[in-house]
Amino acid sequence: MTPLREAFVLPCLFLTVALLGGLRLGADVRLVPPPLIALVLAALLLGSLVRSNVVAPVRLLSQQRSGLENTSGGVLLLAVLAASAQVFNLLTPDTGLLHLLVSVFFLVQLLTTLTAVRDRVSMLRSLAVLLGCAFVLRFIALESLYSPGRGVMKRVMTALMEGITLGALDYVPTGSTTGYVGFLCLSLYLVGLVLMPTMLTADRGGTLVSLGQPAQTDELYRHLPALRGE
Amino acid sequence: MRAAGLAGTMLYGAAIVWMYAAQPQTVAEVTGGFTSTIGVYRIDQQAFDDGLAFFRRDQFDEARAALARADPAGRDALTQFYIAYTYYRQGWGRVYNDDALFKSGLAAVDRAILLAPDHRLVVDDAAIGIHTADELRAELQRGLTHDASDFNPLRLIRPRR
Repeated sequence: MTPLREAFVLPCLFLTVALLGGLRLGADVRLVPPPLIALVLAALLLGSLVRSNVVAPVRLLSQQRSGLENTSGGVLLLAVLAASAQVFNLLTPDTGLLHLLVSVFFLVQLLTTLTAVRDRVSMLRSLAVLLGCAFVLRFIALESLYSPGRGVMKRVMTALMEGITLGALDYVPTGSTTGYVGFLCLSLYLVGLVLMPTMLTADRGGTLVSLGQPAQTDELYRHLPALRGE
Repeated sequence: MRAAGLAGTMLYGAAIVWMYAAQPQTVAEVTGGFTSTIGVYRIDQQAFDDGLAFFRRDQFDEARAALARADPAGRDALTQFYIAYTYYRQGWGRVYNDDALFKSGLAAVDRAILLAPDHRLVVDDAAIGIHTADELRAELQRGLTHDASDFNPLRLIRPRR
């Protein structure tokens, strides 16, 4: 990974996600900080990303790197964590029963992913589907159901849902502009993850190749001296 | 390269934290916040003078419009003080005060106190009766408080400051 990408491009991408993830453009402009559950989910996601080789901490923080390089790598990891928290903040309804339900859904899904998905490509695909579905649920389905100018059928449906849940299933629409900003935010986040450095090793011909399976990381450590030119 | 990137990232991160803490509502508030942080924020002096002229002629709505134009980011203590004063004078009544205007005035004077150096603001202006932000704040708070003294008939002859 080039220093330009590590020190400029990726932090800029992830910090932009961290900024836009809490932006709500309704009647007024609000910047919503991530709730505690979003931080927990972000930590779990970061664990899953490391486990599946989407994020390779050894490429960002290691004894072979200088102090400045390690600081830069550490800041990048923090930016990934902040961006992940804000992505969950963006996709989870702000209050009520829906906030709880979506948070629990994310928690279960991430725990499953953490234990099951070990491959970089599968992880990225799985994450894109998970975040994409949550985006559709919040910014298309819920926004459409609870939009201010909704029809009689939608009003009856939401009234029935709220009645059944004794008023707990409440949702405050954030406005369509927030959806567009959210789409941009998710796209930037996924692009940023694709650009993150992965584990590399040298094949027999000396060419650097990506390791798909964590089981192969032992091979990487065998080749590290060769990679360092020792 | 890395040092420059690190410095840029730190600055960007600090700006994001500031925005989440300050909750700016307009682009002017964002730029005003950043420029005042580095000490280069300037109000529109012409609009401020216009606002002051309106204020002295008791044209309070016009004065507020001009003062808001002078300080679009709400980062100048003196302008916020005069905005609060327009609310005070417009909301002041011999029999009763306008609570909504007084509440807006209280919010403006709180901003002025927050922005003033050491939170102390003294205004040397012969056209006004209250010369410090603390006094104006207390006057506005008194106006919003409802108690037995509201029924004191001497209230009818108290002067507007």
